[in-house]
Amino acid sequence: MTQAVVNIPGRALIWLIASFGVLILPQLARLPIWLIAACIVLAGWRWLAQTGRVRLPGRILRTMVMLAVVAVYVATVKGNFSVDTAASFFVLAVGLKWLETRASRDFYVLFFILIYLAAVNFLFEQGIVWTLLNLLGVVCLLVGLQVLNAPGLSGAIMAGWKRLAVMLLKTLPVVVVLFLFFPRMAPLWSVPLVSDRGVTGISDTMTPGSISNLAQSSKRAFRVTFGGQVPAQRDRYWRGLVLDQFDGETWAQQTVPGYQRPGRIALDGGIGDLAANEYDVLLDASNQRWAFALDNSEAVSNNVFATPENLFVFQRPADTTVRYRLAKVPERRDSVPVPLSAEQRRQYLQLPADGNPRARALAGQLAKNSASAREFLVAVLYRFRKDEYFYTLKPPQMPENGIDSLLFDIKRGFCAHYAGATTFLLRAAGIPARVVVGYQGGENGVGGEYLIVRQYDAHAWVEAWLPELGWVRVDPTAAISPARIESGLREAMADEGSFLENDWISPQRYGDVALVQWASLQMDRINYNWQRWVVGYQGQSQMDLMSRLPGGLGMRELGYLSAGLVGFALLVAGLITVWRQHTGGSGDPRLRLVYRWHRLLEYSGMVVQPGETPDQLAHRAGQQYPEARKPLEAFARAVNNHYYGDTGSARRVPSHDIARMKRLLSLLRKHLRRSGGRQSQKR
Amino acid sequence: MVRAFQNHWRRWVNRRIPQSDSQRLVQRNIFILPTGAGVVFAFLLFIMLLTGINYQNSLIYLLTFLLGALFVAAMHQTHNNLVGLELTLIRAGEGFAGENIPFTVRANSANRDAAAIAFSNGSASLEYRDVSAGESVDVVVHVNSTSRGYLGLERLRIGTRFPFGLLEAWSWMRPAAHGVVYPRPIMPPAIGFPGDQGDESSASLVDEGHDHADVRPWRMGDLTQRVLWKRFARTGEMVIADWQGEQGSTQWIDYAMFPGVDQELRLSYLAALVLERVRLGQVYGLRLPGVVIDPDEGAYHQARCLRALAVFGKDAPDSGKPPQTNDRETA
Repeated sequence: MTQAVVNIPGRALIWLIASFGVLILPQLARLPIWLIAACIVLAGWRWLAQTGRVRLPGRILRTMVMLAVVAVYVATVKGNFSVDTAASFFVLAVGLKWLETRASRDFYVLFFILIYLAAVNFLFEQGIVWTLLNLLGVVCLLVGLQVLNAPGLSGAIMAGWKRLAVMLLKTLPVVVVLFLFFPRMAPLWSVPLVSDRGVTGISDTMTPGSISNLAQSSKRAFRVTFGGQVPAQRDRYWRGLVLDQFDGETWAQQTVPGYQRPGRIALDGGIGDLAANEYDVLLDASNQRWAFALDNSEAVSNNVFATPENLFVFQRPADTTVRYRLAKVPERRDSVPVPLSAEQRRQYLQLPADGNPRARALAGQLAKNSASAREFLVAVLYRFRKDEYFYTLKPPQMPENGIDSLLFDIKRGFCAHYAGATTFLLRAAGIPARVVVGYQGGENGVGGEYLIVRQYDAHAWVEAWLPELGWVRVDPTAAISPARIESGLREAMADEGSFLENDWISPQRYGDVALVQWASLQMDRINYNWQRWVVGYQGQSQMDLMSRLPGGLGMRELGYLSAGLVGFALLVAGLITVWRQHTGGSGDPRLRLVYRWHRLLEYSGMVVQPGETPDQLAHRAGQQYPEARKPLEAFARAVNNHYYGDTGSARRVPSHDIARMKRLLSLLRKHLRRSGGRQSQKR
Repeated sequence: MVRAFQNHWRRWVNRRIPQSDSQRLVQRNIFILPTGAGVVFAFLLFIMLLTGINYQNSLIYLLTFLLGALFVAAMHQTHNNLVGLELTLIRAGEGFAGENIPFTVRANSANRDAAAIAFSNGSASLEYRDVSAGESVDVVVHVNSTSRGYLGLERLRIGTRFPFGLLEAWSWMRPAAHGVVYPRPIMPPAIGFPGDQGDESSASLVDEGHDHADVRPWRMGDLTQRVLWKRFARTGEMVIADWQGEQGSTQWIDYAMFPGVDQELRLSYLAALVLERVRLGQVYGLRLPGVVIDPDEGAYHQARCLRALAVFGKDAPDSGKPPQTNDRETA
């Protein structure tokens, strides 16, 4: 490393800064604002120093800046360690490095850090746009390196882009082959991605306002592909989790899942074509353990497990996009369900000791008038339908005895209000019941190939235990606002105008503008396929692809195969280089023949002098090998004729004299071999 | 052990790269290895692969493979940057001992650009040049000289790290031609010791010379300074004052002038005297054991004398003749 580039050329530095700007974008959401500002200031400082307007700080000032920034960092992090703080530290290190980027060595240090930052970015964002952005950052770095290494070259940047593009094109086959065949091993050790950044999505508690907050977000929750018929909108109830504890205000889970050993979620989400009853869910990172499933499903892929409540969970929180596969099974209505145990009855009848007296009274009164649990259910739903209850995203606050105010005074609420109130009524009447939280609905993707379920599809409903049927779904929202269930939140909120009213940039908000809708769906399709086939190309999907190839390739064979293919590619590239050199790197076939002629003569022991004309060479060779004089001279004449002769002559057919030159060469070779043999005999 | 290996390596390289004043860089004489940054980069790729495996992240795999393939492509690119470069030593320099002797090498590339080629002689003097296709670039490399005699540019290193600086391809050129190093001029300490008849009369020499000179008509090749312009103005005849022969005895710079002085020092004295004569514009001849250069003047004569002093008693290097290009240059 004795390269004597004392300072970094500005044209190289600008690419480094540009790349930093691009690569930091995916991290923006997890970085504190002060850090972003600090990075901009530090990089700007470096750039101004480059243009000569300010000086780079000396050692003392540099140390002070460093201590100040680190102090702010330590103060904001306050000792909690997560992926976000690690990412900020990473960015902080790059930011500080700007002040001491003086020599090409520092350039390389930043180059390495930024390359790794690109890799780290892929841990968090895997959409196609983010991927392209990351690659753009890496390409900027590589262009910068080229400028750094050839600072004097004019037009270096354009040439750099072009050279890089050609290199990328040439290496593309190898990259594809490696990507397909490189064996996807199991993780060597497991480090979870602990993020303290809140991910939009349903949580494990439900307060009356929680789901209406979600309804303001058009972020995607998951996407589903069905092997057979896509179920109708009103049947798309995606169960997430069950809430069975009520403290008077909040619904929560009684059984909190036990402590999990840190580890990574299993990503193998099943392979092969979907059977008619199967469906494949691609869940965006939720940082939660629960998976979403339709009623009466069973697990197909082995990264999800069924719970006693007939829900599905992962072994670890989904800290990244994860795919899983489930199958619908026919409902069993023939046999009587296993009765609830005493403990379960207690669990599903739990209510706070007091509060909401009017609701309790109502439950008692309705229960008296109903002969069975079923009749009671019908009565409750009838009340919701008949009375002036409203479905709204903007209900007023109901702090005291919320259920009483909802049922008797205000009569306006969102699904969470009605689900909570209904469960309360059922339990007060002695019918075991629970709140189910999840999503309801889903928008068709392009061509109806798959469903997109978004956060605003979040929903809460009720399941009640009927002795003769088991758990049945009861959705009070369907009674109050059938449009929500039949056609989604957009239709249900059409009058109120509150659909995504705070989310100005969401394309879903402008869903009635056909072009926006179309573009948004096309983009989603590209991303979906990208996620399924490229991002999701992991162990099982690789094995599946390989099992379709003849020969049944295992992990070990794949290793050999990829090593072999890479070796082969290297060999081919090497051979091309050698061949290009031997042919003089010339596209002129005659010139190649001239080089071959030279080599032939050199083989037989002659030295081809630089600057010798073909005639001179032929003459000299003719003296050494008199019997080969004729072909030698004829060849020299042919060369001269072509390069210096009358080009206008129409009778000459180019391919003819090439063939003739080749013939002469082979004749010459024969002669030379004969005389060469004689010479060695003499010796 | 290390030294033995180095010697072995050196011999091996020398076998591959014969001594020659012109060299075309091809695959057999180009070497390539990763630089320090390249080694770190390879390590980084390994870390990235581990990250990809551990987080089962396809895109990190993709990025790693992409950069890995680019690394290999860069290997070809760096190598090809040198391939086809033709180097010719066009001038081996001359100078006094202790000076840096310039060697001029012409680099040209027939059909592809060669960017950022570093020319260096050992670890010292680095020159970065871009050679565009079809053009030629002259690079001057300086070699530090210590003592008089023949001086070769032992090894010229031609390296490149283009495009990414992760790999370095290099080759050597071992020119056969030698430069000539004159003795370091040292003024003789005392003026007027036996044998040096020139100095006491030197002040009046010019006038004297004119007075006693034979006058002959101008011939082709005579220096214009020696034309007697006054007479030309008077008579219109171009005549030359020809003092060759008559004044020869006083103008000889002779090896025998400093008896008993060490040979190298003696040559240094003579070199200084040559320079002194040139400074004074005198005509002088040089007499060394076995070498006689008749009195004359002018740059070519000076170079000839100094060269004779430089190589006195030295065997010509293996390659034979000192470069002819010099003569053409100075004549």
